[in-house]
Amino acid sequence: MIKRKKSKDTFELESYVREKRAVNYDFILFFMVLAVSSFGVLIIYSATRETFPGGVTDPQYYLKKQLIYLAAGILLFIAVQFINYRKIERYWWLFLIAGIVSLASVLMFGYEVHGSKSWIDLRFTTVQPSEFSKIFMVICLAAVLSKWKKEKEHRITFKKVIFSLAVALSFVAMVLLQPDYGTALIYLVVYIGLLFISGANFLYVVSIVGMIAGGVFLAFNAGYIKQYQLDRILVLLKPEVYPDEGAGYNLFQSKLAIGSGGLLGKGLFLGKQTNLSYVPEHHTDFIFSVIGEELGFLGAAVIIISLGIIVWRCFYIAARASDSFAALLGAGIGFIILSQIVINIGMTIGIMPIIGIPLPFLSSGGSNLISMLLGIGLVESIYIWKEVRKEYEIAYQEFK
Amino acid sequence: MNSNIRMRFKILFYLLVIIIIVLILRLYFMQVMSGELYAELASESITREKTISAPRGNIYDRNGKLLVRSIPIKAVAVQPNVVSGNESVMRILSGCLDIPYTKIRKDIEESNVSYMDKIIIKQPVDTSVVIYIEENIDKLPGVEVVDVYLREYSYGALASHILGYIGEISEDKLKSEEYNNYNYEGGDQIGLGGLEETYESVLRGKKGKVAYEVDPIGRPVSTIQEIDPVSGNDLYLTIDIDLQKIVEEALYQSILEVRQKKIKDTDEYYKATGGAVVVLSPVDGQILAMASYPTYDPELFVGGISKDDWSNLNDPENNYPFLNRAISSFPPGSVFKIVTAYAGLSEGIITEGSRFSCAGIWYGLGENFPKSCWLKSGHGSLNIVGALKNSCDIYFYQVGYGLFRKLNNAEELLQKYSRIFGLGSETGVDIPGEDTGLVPDEEWKAEYFKDRKDYSVWFPGDTVNMSIGQGDLAVTPLQMAQAFSIIAGRGIKYRPHLIKEIRDGGDVLFTSSSAREYEDLQLNKDFIEAIEKGLIQVAAPGGTAYGVFMDFPVDEIPVAAKTGTAEFYGKQDYAWFASYAPAGNPEYVIVGMIEQAGSGGSNVAPIAERIYRYLFNID
Repeated sequence: MIKRKKSKDTFELESYVREKRAVNYDFILFFMVLAVSSFGVLIIYSATRETFPGGVTDPQYYLKKQLIYLAAGILLFIAVQFINYRKIERYWWLFLIAGIVSLASVLMFGYEVHGSKSWIDLRFTTVQPSEFSKIFMVICLAAVLSKWKKEKEHRITFKKVIFSLAVALSFVAMVLLQPDYGTALIYLVVYIGLLFISGANFLYVVSIVGMIAGGVFLAFNAGYIKQYQLDRILVLLKPEVYPDEGAGYNLFQSKLAIGSGGLLGKGLFLGKQTNLSYVPEHHTDFIFSVIGEELGFLGAAVIIISLGIIVWRCFYIAARASDSFAALLGAGIGFIILSQIVINIGMTIGIMPIIGIPLPFLSSGGSNLISMLLGIGLVESIYIWKEVRKEYEIAYQEFK
Repeated sequence: MNSNIRMRFKILFYLLVIIIIVLILRLYFMQVMSGELYAELASESITREKTISAPRGNIYDRNGKLLVRSIPIKAVAVQPNVVSGNESVMRILSGCLDIPYTKIRKDIEESNVSYMDKIIIKQPVDTSVVIYIEENIDKLPGVEVVDVYLREYSYGALASHILGYIGEISEDKLKSEEYNNYNYEGGDQIGLGGLEETYESVLRGKKGKVAYEVDPIGRPVSTIQEIDPVSGNDLYLTIDIDLQKIVEEALYQSILEVRQKKIKDTDEYYKATGGAVVVLSPVDGQILAMASYPTYDPELFVGGISKDDWSNLNDPENNYPFLNRAISSFPPGSVFKIVTAYAGLSEGIITEGSRFSCAGIWYGLGENFPKSCWLKSGHGSLNIVGALKNSCDIYFYQVGYGLFRKLNNAEELLQKYSRIFGLGSETGVDIPGEDTGLVPDEEWKAEYFKDRKDYSVWFPGDTVNMSIGQGDLAVTPLQMAQAFSIIAGRGIKYRPHLIKEIRDGGDVLFTSSSAREYEDLQLNKDFIEAIEKGLIQVAAPGGTAYGVFMDFPVDEIPVAAKTGTAEFYGKQDYAWFASYAPAGNPEYVIVGMIEQAGSGGSNVAPIAERIYRYLFNID
């Protein structure tokens, strides 16, 4: 009915609908992300103002840096909202190339931190391509698993599964080469999540999970997994065995910090365990320990619920998206955030192995924050560029 | 979107809710349920406590002259369980302390980690070392600089046997009950001999404490609590250090002189391996001087004694300088005769007027058991005064035999009186290591010779031998001084002691007079006076010590004395001289003993004479 008239009227109708749609925006997601990220800046300041990690001399070094990242991230977030996600779907292979190339370049030009070659130094800042590649991979997988143009209806065929597996494994392989097992794990979890939510036959999902488990087992037998990595998992079972060193020490100190926070916490800036650097990596991977210690159970619970709301909004928007690509894209972003929350917070409270991945929106570091804001920008784009037939009809009526 | 996918989104939503609930529940258990436990653990993990040693109390003589004081020094201590196996730490220590690496490693690894939480590696250390260690403390986990108080001796080796010494507490002591009531730690200095050991609890003071928070590498970041140490209390001794000096010099000189002498009719020199002198106040039991030779320098123990020094001190070749001979027991010989005399008088074996005749040899025990007097020609007829004056053995044999025969020795009278005079048991002097001596009796002999049946019986000859201070009788010079003090004081027995006062700065916490321990033995004054008459004669013309007291104004200051020359199987005779003066109004008891030095009258009496001259200001 609308399509029939390709006239000036149509154009005016579209711009009218767009005007209406400006109000059609997920403010919950926007404000939650803004609030949590801003709080992240504050807690990073609390974690670094007295401990000077990395040998910096300015107590506000990490505060300033994180503020810049936040500003940059928000700009990117806003910019991405103006892009119709359908364009992204069309050019998804560009993201495949960007992801693989950036991950390849980190292998060539990157530098090592904690034994992983994950960082590229761009002079003015450092970048961790594996963070951005998470989003890129989700875009690619969403494109692969969504309804292809030639398909009459959305179906997950064997071909799609193989294709998606190839895409996922190429990303995972690039990250494993660094090697960054934590990020690789996130990639795999996100892939499995996407496969599940794409509506694929459970047989596929189960066999992919089995394949991955088998692969890990073979890798361990072939000696690719080192003892210290095994310790990080064993430490969960018997944390008291290693309270003095390595993974056990980290976990012990993190639990002390969080546990000692009690109901209300020791107060912002007053966390002793973290401010005296007992908890390692307390501004990055163990930022949640600072939150738990300084803000107590109430503060930590509020943060968990806030993060939960962000994930919920991602899934919510995905579930109401107007096409399968958008649904998978939104869900994929949600999976990235959720899996990192579970593994990171779970690690700090001793229910997950010690795996070095950042906490979304909260851990110090630009790549993490900016890529997360980019992801949320995409989710908002799904929401903004959603095609709601009813809306058009109402608009048409009004337009007339 | 098909219903399958819609359902999967629903599952996802529930999964999200479950995850959030699990995380929050876990946090609830950690922070709310176990929050206090974690808080406690956390504060423990960042709080360190460090004890601060207290300055040890000083020691003064009776006139307030400083004998020993505490000097603070810096020492480097390590926690063996932290440092052991950390090669880089031990290498750094080796370099900055200038100790061979192998030695450091050995010291650390050989310490008993479970008890020795801390051991001192080196003391004292220079300020530069202290600064170096404090600046590099992050590279030296388990290492710390501690304050240690060492001893400084104003008079060197003088009175070392009385003062004792201090040293690092041993692992055994740390474990022991006795040292449990105070928070001793490895590396602590404690008293290990003499007064330092006896009055450890008085001298040690109270340790201070600093509690502070540290960062993960152990650097202090803030102080939580600080308790200052409390200095130990000061000891004021009964010893007069000037007198002590005279006494030690007199003893030393006499020993040197005796070593120049040959045993009569032989070419053998006296060995004079050691000796002791006690100067005691008979009116209150205060020990005014107590010397033992050979002696040692307590300075050797300051900062830990070296192995060589230690083995020298314990080497028989050096005649055991560690041994305080004033409280070690030896056969007393004739100085014991005062006991026999009193026993005889008291038991009616003799009276003041009883006379026995001495022909140089006595057959009282039978024709086959002749007993001779030291004077082969005999003393002729003697009463108790003459017998003491001449130290006639045969007179005392007969007294002893009489004591044995009374009730067929059922009461072991000689032993009974020996014990009344304090022999055979500790005097209770306040320094460790006192011998009880030995008053042999039937029971002891039966036990001692239980493998030799023919020997295990108490023979009359045993009592007879004992009556002149021979046989198995063993007495310490201090016991003998106490016995003479009983005679001098007409039956009052004081506990000899070395502490006059204990002070906390200016406040007197304890004085010996306030706790003066004495016992009235209820002795017969007439008998004692009879004995004293004899003792005065010893230093008078014809007495066994007259040769020494010839020039001493005994008319003004009557000296009651007894010489002794005790036989010691396999050794040269032990020389004794026991005395007090002025008789009747006694101020001083002086007892001297020199091992393997022959006659007490000629070889020990001069020491006493010299001391009396000093005490009574006689040139």
